[in-house]
Amino acid sequence: MTNPSMAAAIVGAAESDEIGFALSEKGTTNTMLHIEAISNVCKQVGISPSEIEGVFSAGFTPQIAEYLHIRPKYIDGTAVGGSSFELHVHHALAAIAAGVIDVALVSHGESGRSARKNQGRGTGGGGGGDPWAPGAAFSGGPYGGWGAPFNYAHAMTRHLHQWGSTKEDFAQIAVSARDWATLNPRAVMHSKETDPNGGPITVQDVLDSRLISWPLNLLDVCLVTDHGGAVLIVSAEKAHSFKTPPVWIAGAGESMGHWDMLEMDDLTLTSAVNSGKTAYQMAGMGPGEMELGMIYDSFTVTVGITVEALGLAPRGGFMELFEGGKSGPGGSGMPINTNGGGLSFSHSGMYGMMLLVEAYRQLSGTAEDGVNGIAGKQTSAQTAIVNGTGGSLSTTGTLVLVADQ
Amino acid sequence: MTDYNKPIPDPDPYTSGPFWEGAKEGKLMLPRCNDCNRVHWYPRILCPFCYSRSISWFEASGEGTLYSFAVQQRAFAPGWKEEGPYVTCFIDLNEGDRMFGVLLDVDVSKPEDIFAKIGSKVSIEFVKASDEVHVPYWKLAS
Repeated sequence: MTNPSMAAAIVGAAESDEIGFALSEKGTTNTMLHIEAISNVCKQVGISPSEIEGVFSAGFTPQIAEYLHIRPKYIDGTAVGGSSFELHVHHALAAIAAGVIDVALVSHGESGRSARKNQGRGTGGGGGGDPWAPGAAFSGGPYGGWGAPFNYAHAMTRHLHQWGSTKEDFAQIAVSARDWATLNPRAVMHSKETDPNGGPITVQDVLDSRLISWPLNLLDVCLVTDHGGAVLIVSAEKAHSFKTPPVWIAGAGESMGHWDMLEMDDLTLTSAVNSGKTAYQMAGMGPGEMELGMIYDSFTVTVGITVEALGLAPRGGFMELFEGGKSGPGGSGMPINTNGGGLSFSHSGMYGMMLLVEAYRQLSGTAEDGVNGIAGKQTSAQTAIVNGTGGSLSTTGTLVLVADQ
Repeated sequence: MTDYNKPIPDPDPYTSGPFWEGAKEGKLMLPRCNDCNRVHWYPRILCPFCYSRSISWFEASGEGTLYSFAVQQRAFAPGWKEEGPYVTCFIDLNEGDRMFGVLLDVDVSKPEDIFAKIGSKVSIEFVKASDEVHVPYWKLAS
């Protein structure tokens, strides 16, 4: 079996025209967000959509391909929640390494905010709930289950119990994300100008924010926004043929432990322990060599648990990475979630695409500059670990990315 | 008819019938593999540990320990919406595997007190939702 490491590179990453809360006035649809992002990334890279050979999205692939008159040779609609896009990169790498395609598109569009206004229309999702699905009768269904916070809170409780962590430890993750958001003018919570609740926060602010599902407070929980994004991935041979620099896929892995949290053995350990191992092995690198962390932050607890599973901190010891602002701008440790994260930048429901876009920007030296005299969020990182988490801490995709040398 | 105002599960007739039949009599019925002897939850048509298709149901103790919980501050489903904060929980069953449910008779204003009860014994209590469906709930053992 050959190792596909470095067989492909990401050569561009872009967002839809507008993201965040702004669209909720006029509204948007999933399709619109997809197409805007694809149009933007193709322009950035200098490629026509018709040159795309493989189309990867979380359940929207035929609609995208038809809309853009793409006649793909490779169709992938893997939809496993927010981690789907990291899995798509993995799949694209495999397809390119196998010689099936040379140019792949991974795309995302999700009108999480507008769906409320539109009462679900324009989301293109599959039908209603299945009353006979196991979760319907034996998980949240009879007990008022309503969404991710309802579930994830149990994992945080268990971490507090099993490892002696504190709510303050988790709050520090939210503070770090917010500090990065203050350097990102596109972040929803960048400042008072972008949102009345924007601007820097403290650990005490997190603890004092409204309780959602104890032990989760409002500021432990991600935003709900509109967001689109897309990345283009090409074979090693083509990596230097475009206007934009390549960022190499050194390692990729995916795994899952369960879908419903009812089936999660240890509520403080996700399958990132396995997807991470696969990605590190493929890359021939380890956690100590990672210079940037883009870690799915649906909740503060998601980050805490994930960095431990990836070996970036010992089990029960996630706080080592965040205490004293180590992970934040100008911090002494590994920078984590430099876009402001799902907690303070943007989170449409499936956040994994935003991880990819920011990782590409950081490693290609194109992270946005700061504003108003604040130092930019561009870091000096040459390597990044990207981990998406979907469902209820269920599905994970891990990537090890490296800058072009 | 009862005055149960919360979502009533729609019993799946293929895999979980014995559970719902037992529930009507206040018994916790669990599926166990005839080949590897392990208990699994939720009910399946095969054992998720050894993939045997030979499953039997037995009456369990209805007891377990509190594995984790959350105090739900908000809800949207009928009945729960009007309930005010309530406690959801994962219970490690004495016979193996884990169930999800709601923990009754705890002070939702003191999550730290409930936190101190993780690992404590709990027992099941079925609440009649309709003539056909009794819904499992949990209480801390006194």
